[in-house]
Amino acid sequence: MFDERLWTGLLLIVAVVGLSAVPARAQEPGPLAEPKSRNQVGFPAELYSWVIPADNPQTPEKIALGKELFFDDRLSEDGKISCDHCHVPNKGFTDQLPTSMGIHNQFGQRNAPTILNALFSTTQFWDGRAATLEDQAKQPILNPVEMGMKSPDEVVGKIKGIPEYNEKFRKVFGREVNYDDIARAIASYERTQIAFDSPFDRYMAGDRRAISDSAIRGWSIFNGKGRCMSCHGWNPTQPLFTDFKFHNIGVSAHKSDFVPLARKALAILAQGASPEQIDKLAIQTDMSGLGRFLVTKQPHDIGGFRTMGLRNLLVTQPYFHDGSQQTLWDTIDHYNKGGVQNPYLDGGIVPLGLSEAEEDDLVAFLASLTSPEYEQMAKEEYDLQFKRSRTDRPQRDTEAAMGLKGRNGPGLGGPFGDIGPGQSEMGENPALLGGD
Amino acid sequence: MSFKPNQTVGAATAAAAILSAIVILPAALRAQQAPPAHPVPPPKNGGTVVMLCDGKTSIEIKSLKPGEQPTESQGREVANELMAEWRKEHPDEHWQMAQADAGAKPHADPMSQASKSPPATGQQQGDTYASFTSRDYKVWQAETQKFVDEGKRIFHDWKALGGTIGVSCDMCHPDGANTHPETYPKYQVQLQRVALLRDMIDWCIENPVKGKTLDPNDPKLRALEAYIYAQRKGVPLDYGKH
Repeated sequence: MFDERLWTGLLLIVAVVGLSAVPARAQEPGPLAEPKSRNQVGFPAELYSWVIPADNPQTPEKIALGKELFFDDRLSEDGKISCDHCHVPNKGFTDQLPTSMGIHNQFGQRNAPTILNALFSTTQFWDGRAATLEDQAKQPILNPVEMGMKSPDEVVGKIKGIPEYNEKFRKVFGREVNYDDIARAIASYERTQIAFDSPFDRYMAGDRRAISDSAIRGWSIFNGKGRCMSCHGWNPTQPLFTDFKFHNIGVSAHKSDFVPLARKALAILAQGASPEQIDKLAIQTDMSGLGRFLVTKQPHDIGGFRTMGLRNLLVTQPYFHDGSQQTLWDTIDHYNKGGVQNPYLDGGIVPLGLSEAEEDDLVAFLASLTSPEYEQMAKEEYDLQFKRSRTDRPQRDTEAAMGLKGRNGPGLGGPFGDIGPGQSEMGENPALLGGD
Repeated sequence: MSFKPNQTVGAATAAAAILSAIVILPAALRAQQAPPAHPVPPPKNGGTVVMLCDGKTSIEIKSLKPGEQPTESQGREVANELMAEWRKEHPDEHWQMAQADAGAKPHADPMSQASKSPPATGQQQGDTYASFTSRDYKVWQAETQKFVDEGKRIFHDWKALGGTIGVSCDMCHPDGANTHPETYPKYQVQLQRVALLRDMIDWCIENPVKGKTLDPNDPKLRALEAYIYAQRKGVPLDYGKH
């Protein structure tokens, strides 16, 4: 099964490389790119009214302009990479790759987060380095391995060279094209990508047969033994399954030696910590694994990444900030064994002792968070992941999950040995905060 | 009668179990045993007998035949008679108004502080779990208000309460008046044990609402409790007060 997928992936890459020789857009955005109705079961009307910024209200003309920009390759240096290159509507507004590919086939260090429901997020990017969708939209356009434009002026110049755009910008904003307005229009379009209306939403609205018994058990585990709800919070007012906070769950502890990396990052940031600088460290260097630390320079934020919402997970695989996990079972296995030990591991990450049946129930629950337009795709992905989970479980560590080793038992807890939070050489050492 | 010895042994075992339970169980646990039942006397005039919340006084509503669907005005009539009875028995009792409707000064709006909270980028200076945004406060407030509003709805709806005689909570406790939730836990003579507010809500649902008691985890009971407490916002806790 795995080999089959690998081959499909390789073929896909070959296909993409082949297509990139074609200058114009290969295909139209399609129906999944259309702005979504707000008439969905579970739609949080109150929250929606809070998140639309007063200085960038939604208008049909602005949304249409933003949509055009979102799908326009000309926003990139080589004229081949548009926003939807990594945020593909038919793939849940992700690229379904571990990390994203930008101009000249360069790969970044982070997994493309979905645009679906991104309007509700309190910060943007995996490390929250942008406060708003407007601020977010400006960065990939200028990142050298993403869309590669040299400066905001270069982007504005290029857009101004397209007569239709001049006219539309004047109509929507009543002024000349400028970089802020480009970001405003794109953000407005992104704010139309609302995804609720899932079987779970119907279940919570009172239809007790909307989800399977397995999913109902999964919802119970989600709230109890699995401890998922602590960070992936849900309530009717904010039904997004995230606390929008940053947690070190040990994902980058696989491949990062945090302490020397943090020293290196501080030395660079001491020279200047502009958004562009942080963006480059996050996307282009091995310091990416430091996560939220790059933004706050606080030791407790080392390796911390934003809690992602859980809706439509079966069309936004692979998982985690580096796309390192292929299936929902792998992802749950990671949590079940208590993450990967490192000095900055979040205190809430502990072995969970979930059985195989309980993991299956959790996945059934997660599958029930699929919006109707992705139902068929999600079903196919579920089948693939299910089959794979029966034979291939790289993250499974039953002994650790059951507390028979690691923190709660004999033996090592992870790559750094049996070490708990705050015991490291670095800890909250104020000397480090000044840089080396 | 070959089974008789067995029966005797069984009875003896049961008696021993009960005895040992009484000895072993701490007083506090014994206090949590099921409350004594207070059956209402049969009607004398073919009407419906409703007990006052003291567990002793009962009145008969002649116009309401048992099993009949009550009208709004019949429910009101029942409540009025019960209230008259209660006032007669408690001539010196100070009637406590609901705080929320008696011009109580509201607490500071968390949003007034939240609007000054730092921008999202670069915050999170403190511990991850203790760092909250203005959005968090808004969500908590909205969720709490929804819970209280649901309680208010049930408080005013005899059908939602599972009542049978048209009586809802608000008929004796307008806006939650005289529910003194701040005095719980306290010893309740009718129950012969220490009661929490929810126990007394259940008591009222049985008598005088004449419905079935709700499970302590029933969302309706939890919502009613939330509403009653919300109506006394700002009043100091004073448990055990009579």
